[in-house]
Amino acid sequence: MASSFSPGGPSRPRPGYYPPSIANPSPNPSPASSLPGTMQNLQIGRPSAPSGPPPFLSGISASASGGSRPGPPPQSLPTRPQFQQPPAMSNGPPSIGVSGPRFPTQATLREPTPTIPTQGSRAVPGSSSAGSPANDLVPPSIYNSSFSAPAAGVPMAPPSLVSSPPQLHSLMGGQPSHPLAGGSPSQPLAGGPPSQPLMGGPPSLPYMGQPQMVQYSGMRQPLPPSGAAPPFGSPPVWQQQQPRPGVAPVSSMVQAPPQMFGAPPSPFTQPRPLTPPVMGNSPLAWSHSSTPSTIDPNQIPRPMVDSSVIVFNTRQGNQVNSPPPATSDFIVKDTGNCSPRLMRCTMNQIPCSGDLLSTSSMPLALLVQPMAIPNPDEEPIQVVDFGEIGPIRCSRCKGYINPFMKFVDQGKRFICNLCGYSNETPRDYYMNLGPDGRRRDAEERPELCRGTVEFVATKEYMVRDPMPAVFFFLVDVSMNSIRTGATAAACGAISQAIADLPEGPRTLVGIATFDSAIHFYNLKRALQQPLMLVVPDIQDVYTPLHTDLIVPVAECRQHLEQLLESIPSMFETNKVADSAFGAAIKAAFLALKPTGGKLLVFQSVLPSIGTGSLSSREAEGRTTNVSSGEKEAHKLLQPADMTLKTMAIEFAEHQQVCVDVFITTQAFVDMASISVVPRTTGGQVYYYYPFSALSDTAKLYNDLRWNISRPQGFEAVMRVRCSQGIQVQEYSGNFCKRIPTDIDLPGIDCDKSIMVSFKHDDKFQEGSECAFQCALLYTTIYGQRRIRVSNLSLPCTTMLGTLFRSADLDSLLTCFLRQAATAIPTSPLSQVREQIMNLCVNILHSYRKFCATVSTPGQLILPESVKLLPLYTLALSKSTGLRNDGRLDERSYWANHVASLSVSLAVPWVYPRMISIHDLTSKENNDPILSSILPLSSANLNDDGIYLLENGEDCLFYVGNMVNSEILQQIFGVTSVDGLPTQFVLQQYENTFSKILNDVVNEIRRQRCSFLRMRLCRKGDPSGMLFLSNMVEDKSPGGLSYMEFLVHVHRQIQTKME
Amino acid sequence: MAEMAGGAPATEVAASDPDGFDGVRMTWNAWPRSKIEASKCVIPVAASISPIRSFPDLVVLPYSPLRCKPPCSAVLNPFCRVDFPSRIWICPFCFSRNHFPHHYAAISESNVPGELYPQCSTVEYAIPALVSGGDPSAAPSLPPPIFLFVIDTCVIEEEFGFVKSAMRRAIGLIPENALVGLITYGTQVQLHELGFSELSKLYVFRGTKEISKELILDQVGLSAPGSAPTPGFPKGGMLQANGLHPAVSINRFLLPASDCEYTLNALLDELQIDQWPVEAGNRARRCTGVALSVAAGLLGTCLPGTGARIVALVGGPCTEGPGMIVSKDLSQPVRSHKDLDKDAAPHFHKAVKFYDNLAKQLVNQGHVLDLFASALDQVGVAEMKVAVERTGGLVVLAESFGHPVFKDSFKRIFESGEQSLGLSFNGTHEINCSKEIKIQGIIGPCTSLEKKGAFCSDTVIGQGNTTVWKICGLDRSTCLTVFFDISPSERSSQSGIPNPQLYIQFLTNYQNSEGQIRLRVTTITRRWVEGSTNTAELVDGFDQETAAVVLARYVSFKMEMEEEFDATRWLDRTLIRLCSRFGDYRKDEPSSFIINPNFSIFPQFMFNLRRSQFVQVFNNSPDETAYFRILLNRESITNSVVMIQPSLISYSFAAPPSPALLDVASIAADRILLLDAYFSVVIFHGTTIAQWRNMGYQNQPEHQAFSLLLQAPHDDAQMIIRDRFPAPRLVVCDQHGSQARFLLAKLNPSATYNSAHEVAPGSDIIFTDDASLQVFCEHLQRLAVQS
Repeated sequence: MASSFSPGGPSRPRPGYYPPSIANPSPNPSPASSLPGTMQNLQIGRPSAPSGPPPFLSGISASASGGSRPGPPPQSLPTRPQFQQPPAMSNGPPSIGVSGPRFPTQATLREPTPTIPTQGSRAVPGSSSAGSPANDLVPPSIYNSSFSAPAAGVPMAPPSLVSSPPQLHSLMGGQPSHPLAGGSPSQPLAGGPPSQPLMGGPPSLPYMGQPQMVQYSGMRQPLPPSGAAPPFGSPPVWQQQQPRPGVAPVSSMVQAPPQMFGAPPSPFTQPRPLTPPVMGNSPLAWSHSSTPSTIDPNQIPRPMVDSSVIVFNTRQGNQVNSPPPATSDFIVKDTGNCSPRLMRCTMNQIPCSGDLLSTSSMPLALLVQPMAIPNPDEEPIQVVDFGEIGPIRCSRCKGYINPFMKFVDQGKRFICNLCGYSNETPRDYYMNLGPDGRRRDAEERPELCRGTVEFVATKEYMVRDPMPAVFFFLVDVSMNSIRTGATAAACGAISQAIADLPEGPRTLVGIATFDSAIHFYNLKRALQQPLMLVVPDIQDVYTPLHTDLIVPVAECRQHLEQLLESIPSMFETNKVADSAFGAAIKAAFLALKPTGGKLLVFQSVLPSIGTGSLSSREAEGRTTNVSSGEKEAHKLLQPADMTLKTMAIEFAEHQQVCVDVFITTQAFVDMASISVVPRTTGGQVYYYYPFSALSDTAKLYNDLRWNISRPQGFEAVMRVRCSQGIQVQEYSGNFCKRIPTDIDLPGIDCDKSIMVSFKHDDKFQEGSECAFQCALLYTTIYGQRRIRVSNLSLPCTTMLGTLFRSADLDSLLTCFLRQAATAIPTSPLSQVREQIMNLCVNILHSYRKFCATVSTPGQLILPESVKLLPLYTLALSKSTGLRNDGRLDERSYWANHVASLSVSLAVPWVYPRMISIHDLTSKENNDPILSSILPLSSANLNDDGIYLLENGEDCLFYVGNMVNSEILQQIFGVTSVDGLPTQFVLQQYENTFSKILNDVVNEIRRQRCSFLRMRLCRKGDPSGMLFLSNMVEDKSPGGLSYMEFLVHVHRQIQTKME
Repeated sequence: MAEMAGGAPATEVAASDPDGFDGVRMTWNAWPRSKIEASKCVIPVAASISPIRSFPDLVVLPYSPLRCKPPCSAVLNPFCRVDFPSRIWICPFCFSRNHFPHHYAAISESNVPGELYPQCSTVEYAIPALVSGGDPSAAPSLPPPIFLFVIDTCVIEEEFGFVKSAMRRAIGLIPENALVGLITYGTQVQLHELGFSELSKLYVFRGTKEISKELILDQVGLSAPGSAPTPGFPKGGMLQANGLHPAVSINRFLLPASDCEYTLNALLDELQIDQWPVEAGNRARRCTGVALSVAAGLLGTCLPGTGARIVALVGGPCTEGPGMIVSKDLSQPVRSHKDLDKDAAPHFHKAVKFYDNLAKQLVNQGHVLDLFASALDQVGVAEMKVAVERTGGLVVLAESFGHPVFKDSFKRIFESGEQSLGLSFNGTHEINCSKEIKIQGIIGPCTSLEKKGAFCSDTVIGQGNTTVWKICGLDRSTCLTVFFDISPSERSSQSGIPNPQLYIQFLTNYQNSEGQIRLRVTTITRRWVEGSTNTAELVDGFDQETAAVVLARYVSFKMEMEEEFDATRWLDRTLIRLCSRFGDYRKDEPSSFIINPNFSIFPQFMFNLRRSQFVQVFNNSPDETAYFRILLNRESITNSVVMIQPSLISYSFAAPPSPALLDVASIAADRILLLDAYFSVVIFHGTTIAQWRNMGYQNQPEHQAFSLLLQAPHDDAQMIIRDRFPAPRLVVCDQHGSQARFLLAKLNPSATYNSAHEVAPGSDIIFTDDASLQVFCEHLQRLAVQS
């Protein structure tokens, strides 16, 4: 361990600060002194060379532990990226691969809290065993007080809004005088206990606000017994309670909410007659809507973060559990269904018929993230090698063997769970059945007991030998790129990032630069110096060499580093302003043609010349007739022409080239056209606008490093199969599709998510299960061909109420998000916003109409599972992509980013997370600072505060104009607000405050797998406006306030009801 | 007086130096006055001129010439009548009266400027005004020569090694100030940016696509807006730039040899043969055409009008892109003469058209294409001939880059001093002549500039329709053949007493190897022969060597231009007509036939020409034929005669080295023969000599004489080789050896297998059915006297 401390390191670390478990792992080995001054920035994320191999490498060492039969476990046990801290903080997070940087810490933090098991339904499922000590504490007055506490400044939404079990959350218009408010105090709080441990932080944590949650949940615990009457408990209300008398007293277990992640299967999954909940009458509810101010804003549903770690069993006792929220921390135990990280459905019960689905107005879609990074504490995905015969498959539908295939006839035959065909068991695979009707070896064979396994592909699955891991870098060296420092940043990033590439002969690299011509480099070792080959014909490009453009990284590392160092100076005086992006990628593609591989393009200006050149449409749009321009504005979000698309299809279809584009620009680049290439080839766009060499260099490096070192696969083909009754309607994401059933992914990585929507073509039997199977055939970075098969089998229901109860808010949001992104380029903005609004209203209306008929029409009633839908819809309609004032490129980037966004990142992308940081030191050290989030309302911003807001991509620091100069000094190293730099680099200073802040930021980075673009926003500044534009709950020129929005939604529903 | 003076020295010198003081030789030195008479002369009236032949007594005048009023523009010459008191001179061509300008004020009968000296019928002006072009600052530095090497990389490693070592030697020899550029090509074209210091940088062009000059410049970033040079023949104006185009960025690609010697050598070290895969059964993909157009394009816009040459080292046929001569499929052989005859060469015409366009571009720019083709198979010289010949380029055909023919020739072009070829650039050649004379055209390394003047004939031979020609590259041996037409105009016949003398003035403006601009003016006069009766005068003026060479050039030209042209037949008829016209005989009595000594060897020349590579093309590939013809057209009369009729020297103990008959009878067992057939030099040892040599007598001190005898032909051969460009192929062989064919093919088959019994011991026979010279002459006599 000692050896892992680099020289100079020891002086910096402050072991006392971290829990020992963190302090031990490898320190940041790069002392500031050992790096050139100009690279200071980069060090922020500089990989710690001695800190061990990159994550997936370390996975190898763990691979030996695989089961004998299934072959070795996957060599890559992916972990989250490790964003390392600035060198100043040599005590950086551990970067020792598998064990994961931070997770253990949290685990250790949690485990000592003994109260969880006892209180939680984890220990006693759905029971009311927690006792009912607080039965008498129920009165609404207490509710109010507990809610008001947060309102008084505790940055936390009422815990109950997230965790309360009832499926109903009713909101109502301001009816201050409504007498029913306190009328049924005890009723609504049904079924609280199970969820308690989930939402409430461990009581032992002396965290601000936390105690309240505990207290709150504590008092709800007693309710279930009493809740015999309204098991469906009405949610907290602010003015009046909604009695829910009509719900059948199925049992307290029924109320086990979908949020009971850790809970064992609860009976609520059983088909259950839907009893329309009876709502409190409030006939005049909205008649006085002129006084909405009477609504207590603190009681509006808001997202809440629960920072405790949940253990989630995908199936238990042959029952399916609803997954925990995508953004929460959880550990998955794969007990038949795949991890929700890999596949997540918009609803956890499948409607038996298409009619039921359309009545619900909810979409049926699967969000597939086939290579999602598991939690380090999860069991790695097992690799199964069937040898020459290859994986067992259904001979009719070609579905892969999975735990839901039913073996019959003493195991001689098996029935496909997807198509129902009865197959003969191959002789080598035969095994008789045990008394439980399962194969005796079911538990030993991962493919029969795990939701996700990886099969070793046989020759049948290859059209050629698995391709090597090829990384080709393409760097813009046109005048602007050089002048803004983008080229230097890119070269520096590449130079450092290649250090993380595996050394083997199968890792190949190549590099080219371009302006109005394309410059290739021959990196062959024999040459004394790299040879530069210029391809000047950018109308009809070609590759200048047959060999040697792509060389094993081990052979050319030195040359490459030397070259990367000299490129910025070599082109220092470049006067060529044009940039031949299209031609350059075409040329690089030709160079990659024999192998395929990843093409990483660093582009800084509008591609103005050569094949696929673009024009400054933004400016043109402005100059042309305004009225027609407005109408057609959305067309500017469509690709300018088909050239790049055609090219991209060629890349993807025939040569397995995946293109990632890093756009480091200060002007319009026509993102809409450029992004077509990565979208079609399974790549990704990174957007740094306005590019700042000072603040963006570190992010560029970290993005690149993560890009090439994250778990990924090449030349992939993916297909989702499903049970008979439904069929795949559409895939959406970054891929290329040649035939309707499969999607081609030249590159697939852990961050990419694909949405698959389904439609009914038949009915399901009630009580049956609907299965989904996603098969991803890909080549690992080490050149093995694998088939990753993920299975999800969900119960079918005929009950609309069940459907709503099982709805998955995060997935729904992602689904809407993608729909919005798809609509942006084709419809006018107002129409898109309306469409999104309608999606929300329709769902709520359907619920209101069919599941809450008893309540009076004056009430706004939200299904518990999707009670945040209005908020998210509002946030979505105010997001960059849907705002009128957004720049074309930014909106296009937004839409493009969304196209492959995973569920866990979609949520913050729409509704960012905001925390206050001026009071960091006053919070306890071990507190999960990140759980104390603030609602996105400017009411929460104080002039003497500093706030951090992050959406997984950007991280904005808002500095009020009255901030204590001491705090400023500690955090930013300046004494006054005026001294704040415009280009910001988060540094760590020698003080606790700064350290904590850096810890917080690093934790966010880890969670988001993103280094985050740091920006400082000052009140009263344009940057401040940028920050405020994220305050989605505020009333803004472009939209309603949250409160107004609720009123608006309510009206819409009422209109529909009439 | 003055006008008569010119004739004498010219003829006098001609006696000692066959090419004369002026470097002008004519088929007829006395000209028939009428068109009809001229046609009766059978042999066309033509002059072979060596525009910049070097000779020691050349007068160089450091000022600009005086010119007659336009449109005549003839330069003041010894044949002008000068009226000293009134300071007036009368042009012998147009009879205009011109005043001497002020700086000739001192002129008098006793103070005559150099150009008026009677013996100075050829003078050279070193023109300062033209160099400076009105810009004094540009004057001091002379434009450096430019060498742009174009190297084929589609060759085997061994050959590439030879190329590299030849290049290294060349780099060492190139004058320090010369600008050097490098293009390599194979499947693609690589233009090396020598001026890029960071690392080796090159531009790559695809080999399959024709690229225009503008595009090339655009693509390598040399096209500055507005700097596009005006195409067309560069006059004085182009020299303003003094060889360096304003777009200085050209020195990215062309660097002074002293600056890039290291870079070039390093580059050569790393240079690899083409790495693109060649499928089995296919030829390498070689894009010679694109490579040359890239080279031309680069030179074109960078340095229009300066002395630049593209030195192309080609190792195989072009199989890709424009200029392709054969498909990649090896099962398809490179076209032969037979294919060309039958029009079965699918790529030929397209390729010729491409190279023709390339030639036009190069001529426009004033740049030269030199072709060094070294391969066992053909490389497409036949197609590229047009580009080489039009630009006055050099061509060397060898079978390997390791062969001395290539190595020695390649070295020669960079040598300076006495061995120098005197490579000059950017020549323009202008002809003025007396009114009765029209110019049909020129055969030789030049291009018509299409400047029609009064002297242009309607019938065109070679490069015609002009009185001005461009010679992009010329050297001391460059030779042009001008064909004249005689058409007395009314005015000249009107003018009372016809002038008995005719005048022709050749003006050659060029940039010599040092970069200076020179104007060589040669003015000659010849006598008119009046009427049809005066055949004796015509006969006296006949130059049979020149006539033979001109005929050879003419017949080669006709073979190329006219389909189905039967050269042998045409030559026979010409010869018969000539003999009928000028021989003395009684009709139908062959034995009575006698001909003037001035015609005596002409039939033998024709006999050998009929058998030569120029007429009997089927023994050679089209490439070889093209090569032979290019050289035939550009070499001096003396050298060309050797091409037609080789010289043979015999060495023996019995006699000092002496010329021998070009006859199989000259072969003897105890003789060594040295055959100079221009393209090859053969040393042939008789059987006895070979035996002695094999036994090693030459190494024994007592047989030193034998050693000397053996050595003598080698020394002589070396002398021939040293002076000749391209270096001839040296063949050393023994009687009855396989290589002996190089000698036997050239000899008169006076003894064949049919006449074997008559052969003297030690002599040899030739296995042929060809007629011997004797038979040929007998036939000729018979036909000539036929009525």
